[in-house]
Amino acid sequence: MTSAESQPRFGQSVKGLLSDKVGSCSGDVIALTRQVLKGSRSQELLGQAARNMVIQEDAILHSEDSLRKMSIITTHLQYQQEAIQKNVEHSKNLQDQLRHLLK
Amino acid sequence: MAATGDEAAAMDSISRVPVSHPAGLSLAGASSSHGEGAEPAAESLLSVPKKPSTNSDGGVETAEEAVEPAEPDINELCTDMFEKMAVFLQGELTATCEDYRLLENMNKLTSLKYMEMKDISINISRNLQDLNNKYASLQPYLDQINQIEEQVSALEQAAYKLDTYSKKLEAKFKKLEKR
Repeated sequence: MTSAESQPRFGQSVKGLLSDKVGSCSGDVIALTRQVLKGSRSQELLGQAARNMVIQEDAILHSEDSLRKMSIITTHLQYQQEAIQKNVEHSKNLQDQLRHLLK
Repeated sequence: MAATGDEAAAMDSISRVPVSHPAGLSLAGASSSHGEGAEPAAESLLSVPKKPSTNSDGGVETAEEAVEPAEPDINELCTDMFEKMAVFLQGELTATCEDYRLLENMNKLTSLKYMEMKDISINISRNLQDLNNKYASLQPYLDQINQIEEQVSALEQAAYKLDTYSKKLEAKFKKLEKR
């Protein structure tokens, strides 16, 4: 590719050829860089990852909300259990009284 | 591109004698050392524009290539060009790197969220196990409550029977009183 252009052409100065060559080399380096990025398929992967993250985020938030509600419900159950514990301790006396009544 | 006057003279001299070594065109192959390649070219271009002079050496006419004087700031321009190209290429690559960094941060935040959810789940599991144990310890009391409920039902039946008997007794007493 470059050997044909490097030959001096009729009517072109060395300076002009040099500037053309530098320009074409710069373009080639830029094209190479872009091709490397395109070949790595990073944009596709990143796009797919972002889409999956968006879908997942809703589920994660919902799950977190449900877990927090479950922890609150568990705390309420603990309070209820303590209240039941306190009240069933009176049942022994109640039973003795009823046994005496039924005798 | 039409050649200028000097370039036309140079072309004439070149066409007459074989060109020994086109110094400017040698830069085409040098891809790795642009800076180094530019310097000798610049040096050759900065040389005094030699007029094509003929020397007769053994009956062969020789001439030197006519070169244009280089611009005085060509080195700075070249350096500037390569620096800017380096910045541009670095920017192209940095964009993708930043995208990956963003994805990495998002994944880290998601993993943190999952760890919080794991802690909450562990707490819930522990609390529910304790609750199950406590409710298991309450079972005898719940049995006592059932017994109390049965005894209260029996008491209620006894009270109804007593009430019926007392009403019958009252009716008999009134009957006897009337006689």
